[in-house]
Amino acid sequence: MPATTVAKLIDTSLCIGCKACEVACQEWNEQEFTLGVFNNTYQTLPDLAPNFWNLIKFNEQVEDGANSWLMAKYQCMHCADPGCLKACPAPGAIVQLPNGIVDFRQENCIGCGYCITGCPFDVPRLSPTTKKVYKCSLCSDRVGAGMTPACIRTCPTNCLTFGSRTDLVELAAQRTEELKADGFQDAGVYDGPGVGGTNVLYVLKHASAPEKYGLPKDPRIPWTVSLWKGPLKWVANAAFLGTAVGALLHYLKFGPKETHDDEVH
Amino acid sequence: MKFIERFSFAERASHWISALCFLYAAFTGLALWSPRLFWLSGVFGGGETVRAWHPWAGLFFAIALGVMFRRWAKEMQLDEEDQVWLSKSALYAQNIEEGIPESGRFNAGQKMMFWLQSASAFFLLLSGVVIWFPEVAPRSLRLIAVLVHPASAAVSLVGIIVHFYMSTMAVPGSMGAMVRGKVSEGWARSHHGKWYREVTGR
Amino acid sequence: MTNGWCDIANTDVVLVMGGNPAENHPVGFRFVMEAKRKRKAKLICVDPRFNRTAAVSDTYVPLRAGTDIAFLGGLIHYAISNDLCHMDYVRVHTNASFLLREDFHFSEGHFSGWDAEKKAYDKTSWQYELDGAGYAKVDETLENPRCVYRAMKDHYSRYTPEKVAEICGCTADEFKKAAAVICSTGRAGRVGTILYALGWTHHSHSVQLIHTAAMLQLLLGNIGLPGGGVNAQRGHANIQGSTDMGAWNMLPGYLRLPRAQWQTFDSYLKATTPKPLRPNAMNYWGNTPKFATSLLKAYYGAAAKKENDFGYAWLPKLGETENQSWGFFFDRMHRKEMHGFISFGMNPVANGPNTEKMLEALANLDWLVVVENFETETAAFWNAKQLGEKFYPRYVDAKSIQTEVILLPAACFAEKDGSFVNSSRWLQWKRAAVPPPGLAKPDHEIIARIFMAVRALYEKEGGAGKEPLMTMQWNYEQPLMPSLEEVAREVNGKDAATGQQVPGFAALKDDGSTSCGNWVYSGSWTEAGNLMARRGQEDPTGLGLFPNYAWSWPANRRILYNRASNDADGKPWDPTHATIRWNGTKWTGDTPDYKADAEPHQYGAFIMLPEGVAKFFTSDLAEGPFPEHYEPMESPVKNALHPNASANPVAPVMKSSADSMGTPDKFPYVAITYRLTEHFHYWTKHVASGSELQSNFFVELPEGLAKEKGIKGGDVVRVSSARGSVEGPALVTPRMQPLKVAGKTVYHVGIPIHWGYVGRVRGPLVNNLTPSVFDPNSGTPEYKGFLVNVEKV
Repeated sequence: MPATTVAKLIDTSLCIGCKACEVACQEWNEQEFTLGVFNNTYQTLPDLAPNFWNLIKFNEQVEDGANSWLMAKYQCMHCADPGCLKACPAPGAIVQLPNGIVDFRQENCIGCGYCITGCPFDVPRLSPTTKKVYKCSLCSDRVGAGMTPACIRTCPTNCLTFGSRTDLVELAAQRTEELKADGFQDAGVYDGPGVGGTNVLYVLKHASAPEKYGLPKDPRIPWTVSLWKGPLKWVANAAFLGTAVGALLHYLKFGPKETHDDEVH
Repeated sequence: MKFIERFSFAERASHWISALCFLYAAFTGLALWSPRLFWLSGVFGGGETVRAWHPWAGLFFAIALGVMFRRWAKEMQLDEEDQVWLSKSALYAQNIEEGIPESGRFNAGQKMMFWLQSASAFFLLLSGVVIWFPEVAPRSLRLIAVLVHPASAAVSLVGIIVHFYMSTMAVPGSMGAMVRGKVSEGWARSHHGKWYREVTGR
Repeated sequence: MTNGWCDIANTDVVLVMGGNPAENHPVGFRFVMEAKRKRKAKLICVDPRFNRTAAVSDTYVPLRAGTDIAFLGGLIHYAISNDLCHMDYVRVHTNASFLLREDFHFSEGHFSGWDAEKKAYDKTSWQYELDGAGYAKVDETLENPRCVYRAMKDHYSRYTPEKVAEICGCTADEFKKAAAVICSTGRAGRVGTILYALGWTHHSHSVQLIHTAAMLQLLLGNIGLPGGGVNAQRGHANIQGSTDMGAWNMLPGYLRLPRAQWQTFDSYLKATTPKPLRPNAMNYWGNTPKFATSLLKAYYGAAAKKENDFGYAWLPKLGETENQSWGFFFDRMHRKEMHGFISFGMNPVANGPNTEKMLEALANLDWLVVVENFETETAAFWNAKQLGEKFYPRYVDAKSIQTEVILLPAACFAEKDGSFVNSSRWLQWKRAAVPPPGLAKPDHEIIARIFMAVRALYEKEGGAGKEPLMTMQWNYEQPLMPSLEEVAREVNGKDAATGQQVPGFAALKDDGSTSCGNWVYSGSWTEAGNLMARRGQEDPTGLGLFPNYAWSWPANRRILYNRASNDADGKPWDPTHATIRWNGTKWTGDTPDYKADAEPHQYGAFIMLPEGVAKFFTSDLAEGPFPEHYEPMESPVKNALHPNASANPVAPVMKSSADSMGTPDKFPYVAITYRLTEHFHYWTKHVASGSELQSNFFVELPEGLAKEKGIKGGDVVRVSSARGSVEGPALVTPRMQPLKVAGKTVYHVGIPIHWGYVGRVRGPLVNNLTPSVFDPNSGTPEYKGFLVNVEKV
């Protein structure tokens, strides 16, 4: 990845689920007020929404009699190989900026929702009112102006860090070592190798089981999407052309079918 | 020249409604198929309109096709002579008439086209509905649908190219049959001899 | 806080108990996380709920609500019996060696002096044995069985890990695991802090609970050190300020309220000024006459003269034993003994115990003035029946309420300047961000306007008690709108002759030549200007004390009792981590909590106290010199230590017609109330962001209990106590563990506060369940650990 790539590091071992990042996201992006939905957790909403791009998932587990309450902020992962972009038919609706941010440009979006299916993390959300798709932009507007994304600016515990991907990969590795030294042998970095790496990195205490945090275990662009946007496209295109050309050649060689004289009988 | 009625008004109406819907859905489908073809959306009302209308066009196509299906499904059953016809289809393609059994109202090729289009329309409809509502449809279904929909569309489109060629260039007079509903007796005798005899009693 | 927020980063062990800083102080909690990251500090969370603090803790121990003293007493026993105390510290800086009177004893849950008839203590025996000069006798060897240390050791010998487990509901192993980490700080070079909040203060034995924590920290040598202390996390941006200014039960600067038996200033001073109990005690409270005289001068200005006792007679006096903390005056209001009430920046209907009683009390008033940002439950009390009928079955309809209600719109915190005093005791000056909307006015303008109008009415019409009003000094440039700068300068104190700002409380005099609105704030606005507005980021000690950032009371000390961070000779216990040290001629580092040029042996380290050292044993509290485990007033079990003295014998329990207590046969579950990160008290339900993040009232239920009752997550449940009920969806969770208490399974029911019958999002008021039971020392209600029943609706 180029040196200019920016990234966000989420050190889940430092997340206290305070939701400051949620408020910052809502306010910076001037989202409309919506009521939370109760789903037997502390989560604001059961899932991301078109006007709610940054959601802390509160994952409750009991293992060997011990409680754990793993909190992990969920949002667009800004993949190096974005499935949304692969699936998108509308040029310019999804762009991958030189700094690695994958940004949705609603003015070009046609609302087909293909990106929702293409995304391995199930992040984009279609608004029923505007019929456009929305998600975290990693505050591309702020970043473009040399500022830190809103969520990161507001985080009280240094759980969130923003910077160059190279630096953050290093920091993540360092935090992993610290956690291992602290007794968390399973600590590790979540970086989605299946999508070429994500520009949102996680430090997890239980790296071998990211699903405990609500993260997919091995995120990749779904094979059906890859097939659809890859081989199928070329096979079908060849078939269209082949048939049309075949018909033309057929005509040239054999000509039309003859209709026999109407007046024979 | 004497003419006989080949397609009733209802048949022609449902055919052309489905054809128009199909064409719209096909071209807009191609626009959504690849960013390279997205320019097509401009011709058909712009990206958002295309996104909004494509599924409706597909739905009306399916309904019109459904009407045709009800009317023709019985007639389109393949019989033994059709098997012979199909085995000789290479001759048919070369415009050689000897040894090919006379056709009824529809020859075996047309029947095959009918089943092909019906089947692909069925899959297009199912997968299309799933794709239409990405926020409602389960992800697992969507993942299948995004493959089934374009694959069925490709099959259908290939078939339609053949259908278009046959009805316009390869068999002159076919167009008239579907437009005005009538064919000349000679045309009927030449291309659907068995049907000609049934209709005329000669 | 003895220490401060930033200082938490200096610790090795954080004990969070009776608080939930990750949820309720998330910004301050960054320093806990910093300690974890940078110092490998261990975080121990002890709480009935596995909460968001527990989620990032290294050790979590569940405990039954209201049994904290048993847990802490267990830690004292653990530290002593395992020889983990910092004995050098204990010898130098505590009253461990003081000898107790022979007639002091404890048996069957009562200390000596208990009068079972009157249900009151005679505290005569709770004293030291004094020598001829009036000083306490000591035994430096700590061998004498009557020395405080031995008495304490005996007292807590009953608090074995097994007993702790039996009372608290954790296992003895869980207790011991946590105890080993906590008590690992009982040596030089290692330090631990305790963070607490309302989980400790909301009990009928809350002050004793904090006393126990202080005792533990003294035993471990953790008071006065960076990274140590007993740290109260205050719940509002300026609640520390209102405490310091005497908003409850005190005059500013922790001076006692005058009482009927002290009719002269002299008798007041005699009763409230302590005498030293050791020859080396600085006994700084001996300066009480200076502070009190300067306060009267600030109140009455030139009218306060030596000849008229500086106007002491004009101060209102409480009856001999009268308690006017607000649980008591709401009881009076309920008995129709009050006519009017001004509710200023408070929402008693929502935050007082027993909501329906609060509503009934307010309906007995002739008039009610509410000064608030929003229409609160208190302002809308007359409409409670219509807004929440099912929760207030006894309450009357709006038509039959005759109270005249006046709601004055007040500016909110961001719409006025002035100072905030945070938990770290920092006075931070702020500027208004936006002007108040509409007709809203800042609090001080509202007070000034009421004051001037009342004064004008007295002028015109006369009336009882006119003199205090007329003599009150009110020499502000704009009497209807005093500037807060003027008030702040007045609070700091002035020289009466020159009008110059005094440099600090050391300059205050008892002859009327100085005035001072609050002696602990003296030094905040000197001739050098407004020190509260400073934003210097220098950190000369490297300990994150930032002495030039704002101003902290007293005297800009960042860590209280910092003299105790050094040994008898003035050498830091931990030289790598020293806040002050003696360089042979003076103390360097942070402002010493000591005389700056006094050599280390001259005074005891705890300069405020008449002992000169910190107290394990104290006669200051109502229920005994040593903290003892008492069950909450409503408890599922009898006290395992002394079943016949189960609950705090001197805790006030209100007995109005609206008050009743429940028993475990009808109300078998232990309820706790608490706050959530997403909301601030009863305010943010009026605000978009907070309402969005937690829109719904809910009841947290343990999985086992839910299963027993056939309740699934999201099902609506009714929680009822002997006072009332609430209803809401159940949040069924494994995080609320069932506890084994004396062989019995005890379930907790968790109920977050924050909702009410007005606001953008609404829900029941949880205090509809809570009892009017109070701590005898602080008057704080017992909101944690009362009995309820749960049923599916």
